[in-house]
Amino acid sequence: MVITGSVLFIEPGSEKPVLEALARFPEVTFQARSHSGSQLVVNLEAEDHHALDLLCARLAESIPQIVDITHLQVHFEDEIDGQTNSNRP
Amino acid sequence: MRMTRREMIKLSAAAFAAGALNIPFADSAEAQGDDVVVDEWIKGACRFCGTGCGVYIGVRGGKVVGIRGNPEALTNFGFLCVKGFKGFLSMYHPDRLKYPMVRQADGKLTRVSWNEALGLVANKFKELQSKYGKDSVAYYGSGQCMTEESYTFNKLWKGGFRSNMVDGNPRLCMASAVGGYMTTFGTDEPAGSYSDIEKAKTFFIVGSNLSECHPIIFRRIARMKLEAPDKINVIVCEPRYTSTSRIADVWLPADPGTDLAVFHCMAREIIKNGWIDSFFVNNLCRFTTGQQVVDFEAYKQFLEQFKPEDVSKLTRVPVANIVEAARLFATQGPTVSLWTMGLNQRTRGVWANNLIHNLHLITGHICKDGADSFSLTGQPNACGGVRETGSLCHLLPGTRLITNEAARTQVEKAWGIPAKSIDPKPGFHTMQMFAALGAENDATKPLKGMLITTTNPAQSLPNAHKYFKGMEEAFLVVIDIFPTRTTQFADVLLPAAFIYEKGGVYGCSERRSQLTGKCVEPPGEAKPDLWIGAQLAKRMGFEKLIPWNGDDPAKNYQMAWDDYRTCVKDTEHTVYGMTYERLKKLEAGLQWPCPTPEHPGTAKRYVRGQDPIMDMPHIEKVPPQAMIYFYADTKHEGKANVFLRPYKGPEEPPDKDYPFFLTTGRVIEQWHSGTMTMRVPEIARSQPNAYVEVHPNDAKQYGLNNGDMVKVISRRGFMVLPARVVKMSLPGILFIPWFDQAWDRMVNRVTIDAVDEGSRQPEFKICAVKIERVGDPRDVAEMTIISNVNDPFPIKV
Ligand code: SF4
Repeated sequence: MVITGSVLFIEPGSEKPVLEALARFPEVTFQARSHSGSQLVVNLEAEDHHALDLLCARLAESIPQIVDITHLQVHFEDEIDGQTNSNRP
Repeated sequence: MRMTRREMIKLSAAAFAAGALNIPFADSAEAQGDDVVVDEWIKGACRFCGTGCGVYIGVRGGKVVGIRGNPEALTNFGFLCVKGFKGFLSMYHPDRLKYPMVRQADGKLTRVSWNEALGLVANKFKELQSKYGKDSVAYYGSGQCMTEESYTFNKLWKGGFRSNMVDGNPRLCMASAVGGYMTTFGTDEPAGSYSDIEKAKTFFIVGSNLSECHPIIFRRIARMKLEAPDKINVIVCEPRYTSTSRIADVWLPADPGTDLAVFHCMAREIIKNGWIDSFFVNNLCRFTTGQQVVDFEAYKQFLEQFKPEDVSKLTRVPVANIVEAARLFATQGPTVSLWTMGLNQRTRGVWANNLIHNLHLITGHICKDGADSFSLTGQPNACGGVRETGSLCHLLPGTRLITNEAARTQVEKAWGIPAKSIDPKPGFHTMQMFAALGAENDATKPLKGMLITTTNPAQSLPNAHKYFKGMEEAFLVVIDIFPTRTTQFADVLLPAAFIYEKGGVYGCSERRSQLTGKCVEPPGEAKPDLWIGAQLAKRMGFEKLIPWNGDDPAKNYQMAWDDYRTCVKDTEHTVYGMTYERLKKLEAGLQWPCPTPEHPGTAKRYVRGQDPIMDMPHIEKVPPQAMIYFYADTKHEGKANVFLRPYKGPEEPPDKDYPFFLTTGRVIEQWHSGTMTMRVPEIARSQPNAYVEVHPNDAKQYGLNNGDMVKVISRRGFMVLPARVVKMSLPGILFIPWFDQAWDRMVNRVTIDAVDEGSRQPEFKICAVKIERVGDPRDVAEMTIISNVNDPFPIKV
């Protein structure tokens, strides 16, 4: 499982419709907003990095007010555990 | 209420993201979360480009389990790009080299002990040196080694073996920038810093697809442009309409290798319109042909040959674009220029660098807030590790020329070796080195052995075919973390530790050094390069010269750093004040010159009140009244050279037989020869193979559709890869990224190895090719990597 702390940069004035749209994505947890409302702090959760990329692509496609998605922290210990456990000797 | 671990990770990550952007975050879980989700966050730097982004590596149970941008880092303010977030996942790939190996009589690499491997290397190097002379064994390093490592190998070779056969892959990426700074200002590296970006009004981006190659720098510029589109100007000079060009007000699409004429033409427009800075022109500029000093009038006269209409015909850049670029550059400043390989990887790379500096000098857009002529480096430690430690064949620590007797004397003293023991004659530069490499029984090849670390020349040298045989026949020792095209030629293969498995210092484009802490243990028996270098030194009788060979890696790195700090103490590149204690403590590292342990570092050079060297007469003498002074001027007049460089095009322009320009470069996802990034599945999937970009007009003429297989042929070789029909390039210009190690798609089978006369940097960016359609679309998304060390090289060399 990959868990991020990410920021969605959204068009000015679009906070309400964006939050409504985000509610349809169980993999997204809204956490905080900037004073201007143009930056939303969220968690994204996905099976692995590839799934995370796909999730971002789906968000950008279905919520046109999203200008940019930036991850500031990524946790991926399950993925690393998977990799190291499968390491060849 | 008890939180689950997952909830804790979510809160911690969100609190961190909010904190990085100053967004209020009510939950107090950040502090608790940090304790719970990882054992420790360890400060470091990203290793996937020269931007030098600060990171924190999350470690739990001896494994790296998280990464975050460092919001206090003045390079990236907490942001990271896709490579920064994902690239290092490769460290857990099962292909990691874990044990030393030696090639046996049957041609197979077989596991041996470290003692056996190092003993073999030491004995063989000694044998070669005694049979063929001190210069028969070379070191070929990398802008990805830690500073302490490059310094150590450089010291071992130049101070121990007394040989200057030391070079590295920065010769392939940055040498022309070094040559440009040295010839214009008398010393290497930029005057300014990234902090000029937020103070600039105009950006001149040349030969750089910043948005893909230095995405965090691009983000800083793009943010300014998007926030104030009418106040911020962006000029992009580059033959492809890249994602960087999308934020440009003016695009200067010059044919590859012709932009010298564009820069001179801009200078002509600037002077003609009276947009010069008279103080700079009268006091701080020396006009010169390179052979002869001339006056400003002669410069004006010289520029008359670069009229916009003529230059437009030569370069294909519209007249209006050149004129507007000159206006914005000169009158809408302060202006920052930024460039990378498009300017450097050329046979006129030094000249191209000089001409950008010219524009800044005549307009006075330098040594002021928001103004600088700034070369971005491609690798994370080409500046700090190789340029600054002098780990090239013609340099000494402090980027001083080896031909300079005073510099040699000072280094001999610092290293405690007898006077006159450093050879004043430069060694071979990279291309000369590989051309001179060969078998013991080949009298035409003076280099018989080589130690290569952290780089992959069998894939990255231009006109690569020419150099395979030398690598095959010489005694080749390779230090790396994965099997590569180069390890396929290795006689001895030594497994290295990844940056987060050892730590050390990296110095990025803006003269900033940052210390990375060791986070986790390397796999198997892999070892830090520093340990390998010191053990080799010990076995070859140079333990006194390189005493940092103990079992505590952190102590070894600190000892090497202290030795280096002391060696460059009294130079204008001084890092003496950057102690490990400070670098550990400070979130953003420090910029040199940093002469004392109290000094805060220097954001702007050559300016009194900002640059400490201005008031350090034992290093450089600067008149007390001078506020701006180019103190490294070799004529001691405090001036910089404005060059009257003649126009000269590329070495191999297209002709009727080879009608296309081929240019090469990077893509955002992949790093260099792809040996690491190709091992991160998401990255590999998003860019699984190289391709050739073809303009729709050309595609039509050759009957090409998207995905069709194309043979790209130069005078040196050919490759076969899918076409990508795009409008990004101008008609007549093809682009191929160079990360793919699949034999069919290795672009350096066709590139040219002609070099710049001054910097000896090859012209990767320009050669002439022809194309043929060879078939319908084929799935070539193979994501090729060399997994088995004993996979043979694809051809018999
Ligand atoms: S911009 Fe460069 S240094 Fe920064 S995260 Fe990306 S690859 Fe790393």
